[in-house]
Amino acid sequence: MKNKIIHTQSSAEIKNELPILGQMGSFSVILFAASLISPLFPKAFPVPAPVIGLIILYLLLVTHLVKLEWVERFADFMIGFISFLFVPSGIQLATSLDILKNQGLQLITIIVISTIILLVVIAYTATFFIWLKRLIFHRDVSVEEV
Amino acid sequence: MTEQSIIEYLGTPIFGICLSIIVYLIGEWLFRVTNGFFLFQPLFVGMVLGIFVLWLMAHSLKVDVAWLYRHTYKPGGDLLFWFLTPATIAFAVPLYKRNDLIKRFWLEIILSLTIGLLIALYCIYLICKLFGIHDAGIASLLPQAATTAIAMPIAEAIGGNPAITAMACIVNAVIIYALATFLLKAFRLNEPISQGLSLGSAGHAVGSAKAIQLGSIPGSMASVAFVLISIVVDLVVPLFTNLLGISQ
Repeated sequence: MKNKIIHTQSSAEIKNELPILGQMGSFSVILFAASLISPLFPKAFPVPAPVIGLIILYLLLVTHLVKLEWVERFADFMIGFISFLFVPSGIQLATSLDILKNQGLQLITIIVISTIILLVVIAYTATFFIWLKRLIFHRDVSVEEV
Repeated sequence: MTEQSIIEYLGTPIFGICLSIIVYLIGEWLFRVTNGFFLFQPLFVGMVLGIFVLWLMAHSLKVDVAWLYRHTYKPGGDLLFWFLTPATIAFAVPLYKRNDLIKRFWLEIILSLTIGLLIALYCIYLICKLFGIHDAGIASLLPQAATTAIAMPIAEAIGGNPAITAMACIVNAVIIYALATFLLKAFRLNEPISQGLSLGSAGHAVGSAKAIQLGSIPGSMASVAFVLISIVVDLVVPLFTNLLGISQ
């Protein structure tokens, strides 16, 4: 945690950070481009604008067309907010109260089990492939926090 | 109060915004005073409390809950909901910060997500069968690993109920946010790459935010997982349902 604070302070001081309105501007332009691209995908293969936007911003960062200090602070701010932003989606369940009344307990049980299945199965599959890379293909798999 | 005056007094976005913020703050407060009791996650408390407030209002005003939701909460709720779009794009930043890992492990990431998802889908299918869920119910639950905006249209295309899919997506996020630390410990998942990939897949954007708290490796892996898994679901789930003969 301490490291993180020092890191953000230094990045604000050393690099030329874009003011927050400018950072919002970068996001808006990307989002606008994404919303133009999203309808081009066929109905059977939907790719929503936020996902396209994420990919665009990633590609712009990788190609250095957009600098990290143009978007970093606003991005950190938005990510810190995300669990609050899901409150409206949660409250939206108020419209499905009749589904919940009829088969709620069963449904919620299955969803909870499915969540744990997704978490555990994907984690073990990933661990297996990393193990494979290390033991069979003798590659370096050590990773370090920065 | 007549329906007209309810809309007049509560139909502006500020009602939904106020309610969302207040219930979330109550959640944060409860979480703090109980020293982080997992059931008092702000998102979970906010959601339950918000629904309860709307239900209570609907009963005392003698109107339908869904009607009340649409005419009073939704205008403000939609406004806040929109901000999920820039928040989703923001995950490109933690992803880019550990681009070195993406370059080294891209093949393992793609393989783990595709094969892991297929195994998980089959397990979910079996669980549904065990509980005696009909085909439409199964079709609603299979796309839940994708982000809501992808999961809902897919569920509809394969003959499911998008409302149940949306419910599954939000419950995923709530569970992962509340139980991630416990589940990772219980299943002895210590490998940071696996932690990230699984949190991003099972918990969507909220799971990724959780992974970022664990560190930069799980954070970047969760960000890539939550985008990639959505696209894998896009491609795999319709085929999978065809194979099992669920979809019409």
